[in-house]
Amino acid sequence: MTDTTILSKTPSGTYVPPNPKWRHFRRYWQLYVMMLLPLCHFLLFKYAPLIGNVLAFRRYRPGMGPYGTEWVGFAYFERFLQDPSFWRAFNNTLILSFGNILINFPIPIIFALLLYEIRSKRFRKFVQTVSYMPRFISTVVVIAILGELLSPSSGLLNRVLGSLFGMDPIYFVNEPQFFRPLYILTETWQFTGWTAIIYLAAITGVNRELFEAADIDGATRFQKVIYVTIPSIMSTIMVMLILNVGSLLSLGFEKVLLMYTPSNAMVSDIIDTLVYRTGLTNQNYSYATAIGLFSGIIGVILVSTTNWFSKKMSGESIY
Amino acid sequence: MHTQRKFRPLTFADVLIYAFMIVVVLICFIPFVYMLALSLSSPEAIINNKVSLFPVGLNFAAYEQIFTYPNFFKAYGNTIFYTAAGTLISLFMSALFAYAMSKRFLFGHKLVMMLIVFSMFFSGGLIPTYLLISNLHLTGTPWAMLLPFALNQFNLIILINFFRAIPSEIEEAAIIDGLSYFGILRRVILPLSTPALATIGLYTAVFFWNDWFNGLIYLNTDQYPVMLFLRNIVNGTTMVGDGAGAADKSTIAMSIKSAVIITSTLPIIILYPMLQRFFVAGLTVGSVKG
Repeated sequence: MTDTTILSKTPSGTYVPPNPKWRHFRRYWQLYVMMLLPLCHFLLFKYAPLIGNVLAFRRYRPGMGPYGTEWVGFAYFERFLQDPSFWRAFNNTLILSFGNILINFPIPIIFALLLYEIRSKRFRKFVQTVSYMPRFISTVVVIAILGELLSPSSGLLNRVLGSLFGMDPIYFVNEPQFFRPLYILTETWQFTGWTAIIYLAAITGVNRELFEAADIDGATRFQKVIYVTIPSIMSTIMVMLILNVGSLLSLGFEKVLLMYTPSNAMVSDIIDTLVYRTGLTNQNYSYATAIGLFSGIIGVILVSTTNWFSKKMSGESIY
Repeated sequence: MHTQRKFRPLTFADVLIYAFMIVVVLICFIPFVYMLALSLSSPEAIINNKVSLFPVGLNFAAYEQIFTYPNFFKAYGNTIFYTAAGTLISLFMSALFAYAMSKRFLFGHKLVMMLIVFSMFFSGGLIPTYLLISNLHLTGTPWAMLLPFALNQFNLIILINFFRAIPSEIEEAAIIDGLSYFGILRRVILPLSTPALATIGLYTAVFFWNDWFNGLIYLNTDQYPVMLFLRNIVNGTTMVGDGAGAADKSTIAMSIKSAVIITSTLPIIILYPMLQRFFVAGLTVGSVKG
């Protein structure tokens, strides 16, 4: 209705003059009001902290506002780049992340492939449902249960090891060499079933005719998986890989914090726990903000690089 | 797809796969079974390491203890409050935002969309967020738990897409009937959106139920949620259990710990089978959730 002699009726029932912009607002003002409160909330809680990162370049004084009082340039950056505990945390983060991706990236894919091969639909649904229940269990509960299972005096594992192999009880939770395997394995327990859903959805979307063609060519079950299924879900795999590598530096901070003991500190301190300790516990806000900003920027670079790389190699990307 | 059923004899691979899956199911269940057994066993059995998967010397003392422990009750009540209020606030804000954003003809729509997506990749970080919340004087109030996480970009996008999929004829009919956009949202859109709202409501509820870290940095002790209470028991900050001697104290503490674990996770475990289809629906509806 672009005829300007016609008056238009708004939802509130009044007639308005035909000026298009005026008419637009008269008609849709409620939608703008609807958006107002959430938008303010969004800008406040998601974007104000982004600006707050400027604290990395300014000196913080208590009671003088969250944006610091004077510019100090890269002083804090220079400081943490020379701090050995930063580099230790940095290394721990990288090692833990790489290990995590190495183990926990392929496993859900394999699990999804195996799930697909289950012939009984009911059993498959059952296994699926049970397998992604752990994802909804709080990390606190997971670590608490882990502590009980691995307790040196009374834990199930030590008792089994003692009775089957006559081994002395091992204080798993405290020993540094077990920290990384324990972290990675709890991630496996918690997230394999959940992540497998995505892959399973991709697998069930594969064209049946491809499988039938493979049958005609005499492919075995295993060959079908390798030559039909996996190539068909490669795009999903690549997207998941990009997302995983992008979050390389932002590990499960809460879990690491819960698993931290003074004995395993040399391997369990990661960038985020360092930021937490120096920032919140020691109240060294600017210093901690600088570290956090640094790690955030590296994360962005990682996502962009992996994304670009994946675009070049297989045409898949997330943006 | 019901085509001809091919009866293929059970191969060795099938047997292996079935066996493997049974192991997987056991691995998912056993930790909880063990905790349940510990929480229901007598202290002597625990000391003598007699408890494996079944309770030995059925004993409800641990549960009696925690139900009479005022801090536990307070913490549990806090968790229920944060979960209920947090989910409602989140659904309210998300519905408003998503409905408005589902209309592509609004001015600034593209800009706001970019803001939403951008903030998924760049987040403020722990320290700036903490400083913001403490400068808003929200620390030590329940609002520190409820407000900052009311809007979640993933949930927003799910909801926006869902709203866009609702046929516009329905809205146009409502407009002709004289309904305002607020009215349309309330009487037409929301009733139609219960699956999507249930999905993101459940995600949000689980998030609030399990959240402990925000309680740690923003709240006072009597405002702690039950997960933080559990964490304090585990790392020894909170001492629980009383017994005649030192040995008694530690075993009763163990069964108390497992009792707290069971009671705090029980709602999720019980409700999970009925609600899990909502979780899956949210995942496969176009947005990949980590």
